[in-house]
Amino acid sequence: MNYQKIDMTSFQLHVIKTNRFKTVNIRVCLRDEIQKEEITLRNMLASFLTYATDTYPTKRELVLKAQDLYAVNVYTKSYRSGRFNMMNFCMSLLNERYTEKGMLEESIRLLADVIFHPNFQKEEEFEQAFHFLYESIESSMKAMKENPTTYSVIRMLEEMDSDMPYGYREFGYLEDLEKLTKENLMSYYQKILKNSLVDIYVIGNVEAKEIEKLFQKYFSFTTLKRPKVNQLIEHEKLPLRSKKIIEQEESNQSKLSIGCKIGKLTEFERNYVLTVYNMILGGNSESKFFQIIREKHSLAYYVYSSLNKLDSLMIIKAGISKENFEKTVRLVKKLMKDMIKGNFTEKDIEVVKENYLSLLKEIEDNENAIIETYLAKDLLNLGDIEERKKEIMRVTKEDIIEVAKKVKMDTIFLLEGVLQNENN
Amino acid sequence: MKTIELVGLDQNVYYEKLDNGLAVYLIPYQNKSNYTMHYLTKYGSIQTTFVPYGEKEMITVPDGIAHFLEHKMFEQEDGVDPFTFAAKTGTYSNASTNFECTRYYFEGNQSFPENLNYLLDFVGSPYFTDENVEKEKGIIAEEIKQYDDEVDWFFDEELKKALLQKDHHRVDIAGTVESIYQITKEDLYRTYNTFYQPSNMFLIISGDFQPEEALRIIQNNETLKKAKSNFKIQVLEEEEPLEVNEKKKEFQFNVVNTKVGYGIKIPLHQVKDRYLFNLYVGLMLNIKFGLASTFREMLKQENLMTSFYLEREITGDYLLISFKADSEKPEELIEKIKKELADITVEEKEIERLKKVWISSEVMMIDNISMTLDNIVSDIIEYGELIPNKIEIFRSFNLKDYYKTLSKIDFTNSSTIIIRPKKEA
Repeated sequence: MNYQKIDMTSFQLHVIKTNRFKTVNIRVCLRDEIQKEEITLRNMLASFLTYATDTYPTKRELVLKAQDLYAVNVYTKSYRSGRFNMMNFCMSLLNERYTEKGMLEESIRLLADVIFHPNFQKEEEFEQAFHFLYESIESSMKAMKENPTTYSVIRMLEEMDSDMPYGYREFGYLEDLEKLTKENLMSYYQKILKNSLVDIYVIGNVEAKEIEKLFQKYFSFTTLKRPKVNQLIEHEKLPLRSKKIIEQEESNQSKLSIGCKIGKLTEFERNYVLTVYNMILGGNSESKFFQIIREKHSLAYYVYSSLNKLDSLMIIKAGISKENFEKTVRLVKKLMKDMIKGNFTEKDIEVVKENYLSLLKEIEDNENAIIETYLAKDLLNLGDIEERKKEIMRVTKEDIIEVAKKVKMDTIFLLEGVLQNENN
Repeated sequence: MKTIELVGLDQNVYYEKLDNGLAVYLIPYQNKSNYTMHYLTKYGSIQTTFVPYGEKEMITVPDGIAHFLEHKMFEQEDGVDPFTFAAKTGTYSNASTNFECTRYYFEGNQSFPENLNYLLDFVGSPYFTDENVEKEKGIIAEEIKQYDDEVDWFFDEELKKALLQKDHHRVDIAGTVESIYQITKEDLYRTYNTFYQPSNMFLIISGDFQPEEALRIIQNNETLKKAKSNFKIQVLEEEEPLEVNEKKKEFQFNVVNTKVGYGIKIPLHQVKDRYLFNLYVGLMLNIKFGLASTFREMLKQENLMTSFYLEREITGDYLLISFKADSEKPEELIEKIKKELADITVEEKEIERLKKVWISSEVMMIDNISMTLDNIVSDIIEYGELIPNKIEIFRSFNLKDYYKTLSKIDFTNSSTIIIRPKKEA
């Protein structure tokens, strides 16, 4: 594997050359500061750009074009990461060795078309796309409660602080959707192109020179202003005690979500110690949560913890019966306290480190995961794979105890399942 | 070992059948860092009435037993559970049960020989006690309840129940809270002894490993050598009638958007090549209803749906097609689907385009060790054997065979289900 970073003035081009894959994967990654009232716009724009273009003004035409290019796949992935809004345009295509010459260029041209030539020109086609996407987004927003596991986490984060980026709804807001017009979609599109930090990642058996030439030819951003805020969210104050909120929802199971705030950490603590801490506590089926809450006490079908490192948050999720609520929370608190007391073994740490090394190796077979490692290097200053292998081994029991002291339970949210009139 | 070439994909599969009847498929890659090994029995949730190993009379076991058994296999006499064993080397382990099979798998990049031996050992060593069986019921009941809350799950199940009268595909894989509470240790042993014999199982490994080494390990595994095998399995097979169970059914559920499902039941008794038949049906559905169809554009223009997708599934001797949509005008949508199905005409260039798409997808998939393995597993489960020449079969698509296959199909044998939002009390 050979990595090269090329400065293209308005964007950085990262080329990862490897002969491990029959495909070429491209990710165009736009980053800017997140604004609550723009989330809905962002979601609409992301769907809109991959729905049709000025050249292929209906979904059908765009799909036919992609099929002609040997089923090239174009899609967007938008999400929030700390204080940043991330908008990714992804493309995956077969290496020309398996198709025909010229397909790489044609595919990159199609990707450029998606990003730079939106379907704003033709009135009727615009209306159609806008209308359909509006309806789809509206119905998926309204259906948000149909996935109680996700909904419970969303509500928990809102209760924690709805004015902080982690409390924003990734789905967007109905009232913002209702305000959406062609004009504000267009101006938001212009803004995104001008204000974002742009990185483009290409991985596959490709020549950096050729990739550079093609992106030079088809891609030009006119970035004027780059985000100045710090992407990392840190909590000024840690909670002394947690708050508890219970909401009822018609369902069989109850969904428990617990948000914990994490105090100031060093880079090493955030990147490595915290990871080990979380894996021992609740990261997988070997963890304390799983083994004790699920296996030993049969209190939950699932119980895990995960990290939002850029939000300095740890989130615990469990599917439980409502009568087990208090008992489960008590156990969670006890197990967290046990970590502070150092009630875990060197063996636990060793297993987690093995796991971590194995996860790193897993990355080698996955193009998208490789791209993510380079992205994480930029965002978190997380080392490359070789560096990570070394750093994780440095984590000690004392380090973990120190980090454990800084994890404080903040918000306990229960989406309580209640069954009403069964007869209809 | 027999070498099977996956034509057009630069990849070989090595096949061996052991004396005890276990089939072994090995897919070694040159350029990968990880491996995935799956040990499967061709036993899933649909087989509940059978003659147990060493007995003569048919018995019926409670619904959901295959899935229950899967959970209980992780219980070992020495107290070490396979998750923990695997995790020691950073290996991921899990299992799953579906209608036709149960699988246990390890995914990792270290200690290949130890992990392979362990996989064979733990699936070969059941350890059920009254106590550990009781303990599991609470966990599985929670799992069932979780699925009960998911509308998509409910939707799939109700559509199957409407289409099928007798076939066990109409029953939830995990059973019901009531049925699993009836399960006993004895039920589990009888089921295990019958269906977990090597002649009813297969092992498949894909990724970074040496096939010779893998085969040596498998041949020398003590648990496998001692396994009971070659008892002829007899399962009650009820003939599923052609008629659908219910033509139309409506439900209310805790949803905000109305959902509509339209299922079609196509008999396969007379079909010689089910794989090819299924492909041609897929070709038609893709051209007529896929992302690039004019039909879909029309639905959007007329505001007939906000989401629309299709699935196909072979259940016993029937091919089931399901159309699923979120739509505020469900009846109108179904009328449109019916009308579209009445005319199966397609153009040659549409077939040519899809050929290209399907071949490309096949090449993309071979890069992924897990997808390749899954693909071969579904060949074996659905069609009885690995299909190594898919690309050639795709290349052979032609209009004449298309019409020959499609013109005989009755697309009107169908069920409709509509799920409407609950009215506020």
